Amino acid sequence: MIRRPETFREKFNIDVRTGHEVVELDLAGQRVLARRLADGEERWEPFDRLLIATGAVPFCPDLPGASARGIFGVNSLQRGIELRRFIEEEKPQRGVIVGGGYIGLEMAEALVRQGLQVTLVDRAPQVMGTLDPDMGALVAEALRGIGVTIYHGESLAGFETSGGRVTGVVTETRTLPAEVVVLGMGVRPDSRLARAAGIPLGDGDAIRVSSRMETGVAGVWAAGDCAESFHLVSRRPFYIALGTVANKHGRVAGITMAGGDAEFRGVVGTAITKVCDLEIARSGLQEKELSRLGLDWVASTIESFTRAHYYPGAGPLAVKLLAEKGSGRLLGGQIVGTEGAGKRIDIVAVALHAGMTVEQVAELDLAYAPPFSPVWDPVAVAARETAKLV
Amino acid sequence: MAREKIIIVGGDAAGMSAASQARRRRPDLEIVVFERTPYTSYSN
Repeated sequence: MIRRPETFREKFNIDVRTGHEVVELDLAGQRVLARRLADGEERWEPFDRLLIATGAVPFCPDLPGASARGIFGVNSLQRGIELRRFIEEEKPQRGVIVGGGYIGLEMAEALVRQGLQVTLVDRAPQVMGTLDPDMGALVAEALRGIGVTIYHGESLAGFETSGGRVTGVVTETRTLPAEVVVLGMGVRPDSRLARAAGIPLGDGDAIRVSSRMETGVAGVWAAGDCAESFHLVSRRPFYIALGTVANKHGRVAGITMAGGDAEFRGVVGTAITKVCDLEIARSGLQEKELSRLGLDWVASTIESFTRAHYYPGAGPLAVKLLAEKGSGRLLGGQIVGTEGAGKRIDIVAVALHAGMTVEQVAELDLAYAPPFSPVWDPVAVAARETAKLV
Repeated sequence: MAREKIIIVGGDAAGMSAASQARRRRPDLEIVVFERTPYTSYSN
């Protein structure tokens, strides 16, 4: 929940200056140039140690009409509030979501709940690009089930506007009328200040950091959506913009900046979301990443239930696991299903952290009673099936 | 002598987590956070 700037000031003696944008870093001079947005006044502020936590910016193509009223990228609480206010005040009938990722899915559900007629456009041949196509198809089915129209494989070409307001979204093949548009086309690290100051960048232009969250410049740290992580499965630098990761980055940076010892070892790419009643979760590497890495892998998808099949509230779920051919090392997992399905991904996340094989996952002593799980947990069943292919 | 000073650019999850951790360890530090929007971290 929100902690107000005043809370930080009064309780923690942290001088939070909201409405201030840092516009330049002078690393040699150990100072930053801060602009007060209310009146544009700029002032140099000296530091001994600096943390860059500038976050990410939504990817927003430079297309005709992109600045029209009614087009939103929801990358901050502020923008989310503005979108909500726009819907309440302007009462749009038709909404178009561009991008079928986490933001796109959550906004599709939100707009449906507000009573809008919703269309989702994605340039990829599937929604939820962090899932493999077969699991993504289950998500598309659920979206259609709540009344969302989906157009795959269509790139955004521009916007139709009238009097400075958006009236439609133009793709390569059609024009979709809309009074409100939400862009969920992914984000990129906001590393502009760091780049201009000559701080080394890495994967996807995220700021390169050590496990202590130190940049390549002494006395300068970076953390959160602007900084790179390390992928524990691929053993490579990896960019992921998630609040959980940002909190961990920040924690380590705060400790090491204060002279303490802490390390952020890395991520396995775990994420979870939901669309109405459908829970969607993933961890580790997916097929397209494994192909890119040149790994030889096997995969298995099983269908089961979230509880004992006869128990009230039991619902279907699908679990897909991927493992390295030969060694059997677990490489990734994806889960799509009803309530109780999603958090099972934590089994996969722990197994990935531990470097377990699918054989070992199949043998885990997991909790069972009919209200919680079938006798054989679906993740263990998927591990057993995958192990047969190794 | 002036107090040792940390500047944090960005007051969302990473920036505010770092500020809180640094404060916990070093009550003596001067910590300044610059945040563009009217809000600070909302999920920690």
